[in-house]
Amino acid sequence: MNLLLKITAVLAAFMAIPTLASAQEAKPLATIFKNPQCSCCESYGAYLEANGYPVKMVATHDLALIKERQGVPAGLEGCHTMLIGGYFVDGHVPVASVDRLLKERPDILGITLPGMPTGSPGMGGPKSGTWTITAVAPDGAKSVYKRY
Amino acid sequence: MTRRAVLAGSGVVAIGAGTAVILGAGTRGSVGAKAGQNELVLEAGKTLASLMGERLPQVPVWGYNGLVPGPEIRVRQGQPLKALLKNNLDEGTTIHWHGLRVPNAMDGVPHLTQDPVEPGQAFLYEFTPADAGTFWYHPHQRSFEQVGRGLYGPLIIEEADSPRVDRDITWVLDDWRMSDSGQISGGFGSRHDAMMAGRIGNTITINAKPPKPLEVRPNERIRLRLVNSANARIFGLDFSDIEPVIIALDGQPVEPHTPSSPLLLGPAMRVDLILDLTEASATRHEIRDVFYSGLEYSLNELVYAGTPMRSAPLQHAVSLSPNPLAEPNFANSDRHEIRFGGGMMGMMSGRKSGSGMMSGGMMGWTVNGVSATGHVHDPIITTPQGRTLVLDMINDTAWWHPIHLHGHSFRVLSRNGNPTQYREWQDTVLMSPQERVEIAFVADNPGDWMFHCHILEHQAAGMVATIRVN
Repeated sequence: MNLLLKITAVLAAFMAIPTLASAQEAKPLATIFKNPQCSCCESYGAYLEANGYPVKMVATHDLALIKERQGVPAGLEGCHTMLIGGYFVDGHVPVASVDRLLKERPDILGITLPGMPTGSPGMGGPKSGTWTITAVAPDGAKSVYKRY
Repeated sequence: MTRRAVLAGSGVVAIGAGTAVILGAGTRGSVGAKAGQNELVLEAGKTLASLMGERLPQVPVWGYNGLVPGPEIRVRQGQPLKALLKNNLDEGTTIHWHGLRVPNAMDGVPHLTQDPVEPGQAFLYEFTPADAGTFWYHPHQRSFEQVGRGLYGPLIIEEADSPRVDRDITWVLDDWRMSDSGQISGGFGSRHDAMMAGRIGNTITINAKPPKPLEVRPNERIRLRLVNSANARIFGLDFSDIEPVIIALDGQPVEPHTPSSPLLLGPAMRVDLILDLTEASATRHEIRDVFYSGLEYSLNELVYAGTPMRSAPLQHAVSLSPNPLAEPNFANSDRHEIRFGGGMMGMMSGRKSGSGMMSGGMMGWTVNGVSATGHVHDPIITTPQGRTLVLDMINDTAWWHPIHLHGHSFRVLSRNGNPTQYREWQDTVLMSPQERVEIAFVADNPGDWMFHCHILEHQAAGMVATIRVN
């Protein structure tokens, strides 16, 4: 728990902290599919747990197939793939965008933050550049969901 | 019963000295070998294979002579071999004779040692294997897809004085990424695979078939040759109570010893094991692959069947005669630091090695800070022929890398500063994340030689360099 508290504290200084009210609502299960050798995905899972989400980590060699099935666009893949509330959330997406997705429930397949930007939740280091979260519509159309 | 009469697999052909014998994984296909000659034809082309078993439809693959694995080539050490590659693919290809110390022009690296063999064209490979052992052959052109679709085969160079065993069995281990529709999934060379552990499949095969329990007889002695032909999968084999004895690594004899568990076999690596099946009370032995945490599985089983091979197990130990490799001479040596970098989580190592992630993008893999493309580069090392090179290799990444040197075998001297127990000869050395490995060899084979990660997606994404021997 020490680690979780530490991560929470670090992130709280930097990102939106969930309000007491939202933290008390029952949050849907976040199932995170990850490469068995990638440690940052574990950190991302801990970050989500610290923000009130129940998390299930699943090690798999089939990330590419899972992304394909979910409609994550080639070239915009994040490190891991999370399924939550009927959406995919790919990569190290800040929890504020996850909260918003589940609250607004737009007609999209999911959102993605490509790669593993340093400083993003679950990643170490200082924030690097601008992160663009991309939303993917059922017809594959891409749009900017949020910039950090 | 002699070893020759009981070579494993179907399509067995008796051999004599100076004969190239082609053992197919099945009975299909013309093998192109003429008895009594060390000459063969290897036709690269599209074919079908029963990757998912006989009950499911065959799967389109690429293979040699209609076979996956390609025909098992067996020739005697010191006998010349001629192999004519015919290209029936829609793209250029080559054959690299992995682990054999061949002349540079026969090494099969496109653009560096030869032009790619274009569709409809042919190329004659001619060389005389100096070393006996377990080797393999595969393309070096777009290998992440060509090998990934099935172009590879075992290459056995037989010792003049092969140890007596009851059966000599080759298992080529591979994995395939099968899609929901039962086909090989596309997306070869994807950046996502490349920046992580490479393309790892979801379907394991032995000799391109679903693993099938191997029937063994009590007190039988088997020489089991394992070849990892996977693009990226590392096998970590737990033999439970079998207690195999390693007699060779990457084809090169090693002081016989029991492996630490699990036995690690990275892509392109080989190991020769002696199995003495003495557990009369056991009915079966399980071989598990436990490398990936949370994804362990049973690779195969050995099942006792039939009458005992003999009343008691063979007692004499098996050891192999050394190959004619030049011993490193540290009095006449140069030392080079080689740093491997890049990939996902690169920044987490906390070093400034030019590795890591850019915002929203991915950098490649690097050797000494350079992410090279293709096959022709400025050498990272240029050395006169005959000099000993000591390479101090540092894996400055969060991932495993099997590092392969062409044209030479090298001694593995130390890992993280600790001398290795057996100073084993290898041509592909597996480095764990952040590991430091020291190797040494006499640069006695002139030419430009590839030095690269054998996770084929890592190679394609920059973990590749050239060493020049003048």
